[in-house]
Amino acid sequence: MKEEQKYEEALTQLENIVRKMEAGEFDIDELAVQLKTAQRLIKFCKDKLSKTEEELRKIQDEQE
Amino acid sequence: MREDRYTLRQLNLLVRDAVEMQLPDEYWVEAELSECRERSGHCYMELIEKDATTNTPVARASAKCWRQTWQMVLPYFKRTTGQPLRAGLKVLLRVYAQFHEAYGFSWIVTDIDPTYTLGDMARKRQEIIRQLKEAGVFDLQRELSIPLFAKRIAIISAAGAAGYGDFCRQLEDNDYGFRFTITLFPAIMQGEQVEPSVIHALNQIYERIHDFDVVCILRGGGATADLSGFDTLALAENVAQFPLPIITGIGHERDESILDMVANTRVKTPTAAAALLIDNLHHVLNRIEQAEDTLAHYINERLRSQQQRISQLATLIPTLALHTISEGHHRIEMLASRPPIAIERQLTEQKHRLERISLQLQSFDPQLLLSRGYSITLKDGCAVRDPKQLKPGDELETRVEKGTFRTIVK
Repeated sequence: MKEEQKYEEALTQLENIVRKMEAGEFDIDELAVQLKTAQRLIKFCKDKLSKTEEELRKIQDEQE
Repeated sequence: MREDRYTLRQLNLLVRDAVEMQLPDEYWVEAELSECRERSGHCYMELIEKDATTNTPVARASAKCWRQTWQMVLPYFKRTTGQPLRAGLKVLLRVYAQFHEAYGFSWIVTDIDPTYTLGDMARKRQEIIRQLKEAGVFDLQRELSIPLFAKRIAIISAAGAAGYGDFCRQLEDNDYGFRFTITLFPAIMQGEQVEPSVIHALNQIYERIHDFDVVCILRGGGATADLSGFDTLALAENVAQFPLPIITGIGHERDESILDMVANTRVKTPTAAAALLIDNLHHVLNRIEQAEDTLAHYINERLRSQQQRISQLATLIPTLALHTISEGHHRIEMLASRPPIAIERQLTEQKHRLERISLQLQSFDPQLLLSRGYSITLKDGCAVRDPKQLKPGDELETRVEKGTFRTIVK
């Protein structure tokens, strides 16, 4: 079962992949797999941000 | 004789001559003032002498004190007696007689001896006051204060006296609906019995002292002489040393007695005493209401400022949070834009590498040698490297740039 991933952890993982990519540390075979992982992390982070933003706006509206 | 007539003026002038001739001197005269009025700086008095036993007038005369004299004697009189000249006072005047044909007879006042007016009674009062002060009790009552919630009132008064009735009505009908508890301790309020009677009432109150907040000694107005009963040393000592504040309302303005002097508070009338007690409670009520208002105001202010602060924070927090979110978005976008670039670069590098290798490989292509004019000779598909390999009659294939041809070895 997949554990609920934390935003900060996902972001750190993503940053690591990007840094390694830019340093050319992955070989070509790995590249596609890593890119897929990076895109999954990007989507996860974006979703997390959007969801939180929506929640915040809702809380704000309730107050007004 | 019938012809020997006078006009009134002529006759009055005769009287004037006679008066001036017969009464040329100045005299000291004792009299009571029955009237005393100041007009245009002059003082016009009516002098009277009463029979000591019947109290009926036995002599009466007008007196005048001209401005110049009056301006000198009045301040001296006031300073000495502590009061101005007024009806009812006994005075010792230095006078001369004047009969004016138009205005009639008057004594013209040239001096007043105020010490006479102080009189026996006043001197006695002064003596009592002196004794009270010497004993250190004269000011004791004024060191007490009427309690904030003075509602339980002990009254010393003649039962059924008009002043007491006025007092009760005034207290009961107050505008604010204050409820007072009034307890009457009846006493004789005039004549010889005042002293023992009032002291007895004070003793009765003292026995239940915790039931009361304040004591009122009340009496309707009356003649000055009636107040003499209140000017005794024993009564003054009792009042002065009483542990509850005492309010006196025993006479009118001009009737100040020693009792008034030693009491905590003196007012002119019983009704004024009631008004004072009502005012006291009203003042306390005002203070309470003001405190209430201040408190409510303060609480409202605090609540309002806290609400303001909270709503400021409330608008600030989501804004800050959203700011963090948008920063997050930005960061993700930045990160997301980087892999394609990195991948592109890596792929390009790999392509270049492959190209370099392919170039290196090209340099080994035999076609390149042929294009330069070299040729390769093959025998049975293998390159001929040594002529010793060949025998005449062998068929050879030769490759040149633009094709192949066959030859036979000779």
